[in-house]
Amino acid sequence: MHIIINILSVSCLLMGLIFFIGGAVGIMRMPDFYSRLHPAGKLDTLGIFTMVAGLVIYNFHHLSLGVVLLSIKMFLIVFFVFLASPTATHSIVDAGMRAGLRPWTKKKEKE
Amino acid sequence: MKFLGLVIVCLTGGLLLYGTMDLPNWGDPASPASTHLSDYYIEHIVEETQVPNLVTAVLADYRGYDTMFETAVVFCAGLACFLLLRDFRPGKDRYYRHIPTGVMLHFKNPDTRMIPGNEFEHMDKDWVPSDIIIKTVCRILIPFIQIYALYVVAHGDFSPGGGFQGGVIFGSSLILMAISYNLKTLLKRVTEKFLSMFAATGVLIYVGLGVLAMIMGGQFLDYGMLAPLVPWDPGHIRALGMLGVEIGVGIAVMSVMVIIYVNIVSEGRHDEGL
Repeated sequence: MHIIINILSVSCLLMGLIFFIGGAVGIMRMPDFYSRLHPAGKLDTLGIFTMVAGLVIYNFHHLSLGVVLLSIKMFLIVFFVFLASPTATHSIVDAGMRAGLRPWTKKKEKE
Repeated sequence: MKFLGLVIVCLTGGLLLYGTMDLPNWGDPASPASTHLSDYYIEHIVEETQVPNLVTAVLADYRGYDTMFETAVVFCAGLACFLLLRDFRPGKDRYYRHIPTGVMLHFKNPDTRMIPGNEFEHMDKDWVPSDIIIKTVCRILIPFIQIYALYVVAHGDFSPGGGFQGGVIFGSSLILMAISYNLKTLLKRVTEKFLSMFAATGVLIYVGLGVLAMIMGGQFLDYGMLAPLVPWDPGHIRALGMLGVEIGVGIAVMSVMVIIYVNIVSEGRHDEGL
């Protein structure tokens, strides 16, 4: 039983790690402001979900009411990040559009 | 004058640096704090105060004076911000928007004004169309942020947190309202009078608890003397006293945060801003 829990939680954590690395690489490699926000917003949100899911599964080594409450609180964190992170990305993009920043296109580079 | 200020700042900084020479080294095991004080705290806090969180016990009970004056410093910061920035002169230009058509009116004469109603509304100079996504999400999130802030204040003596942190979280929820809607929406709900009263009330709660302990026959801020006031749970009186103090700190910090934000963002005019 313990081995199954360990495998599940470690695989979740590893998945989150992959998402976070992808996000970090994306922020470095993407060409402009708007496309950089894409990995920053999306992969961080998903990475947090899988990371916290891994930690919650790890909690189930000692099942009790306190642990269940703790797990619910951890999932609440994920819930609020899911609400807040896309909204923050949206407002940043909005501010960029209002400030007049043009999205990057391939044509521009050829000229 | 500027030169004089520079000299004073350099002198004060030099004196402070000179003063640090007498302090013990980082993590010095032979320093007085590490030899007597920390051991005493770790061994005696739980039996003396019944508070499981040592940090809160040290901050709010053993060093109650220190935290009280910290709260007073926060209050003074809000007061200084108000005195320096608040501008009671009416703004020169006024902008109104005709809601059905979106036409903008610009009044340059400071004496003419219009009562905003169903057809016209006040408008900021750098007004942007309100974004329904941001507004809705902030409306959903703000109550949860406030509940979390109260949770942090109330759990100060059991888990990490306390008055300062809870107050900052609560203040930030109000600031989020000003950012997602506009400054007028915030000031309609949380007026300046309310904020100033609350900033003073927070400090008053802290000092009042100390004075109450004196009246009950103890020393200033000696929460143990308040035990007759809570006959149902006299064992945890020190934890309850700390909770009361933390509530005072939280109220003061919350209102000072909002006062500073509002004054800076509207340049003291309290009419428009971020």
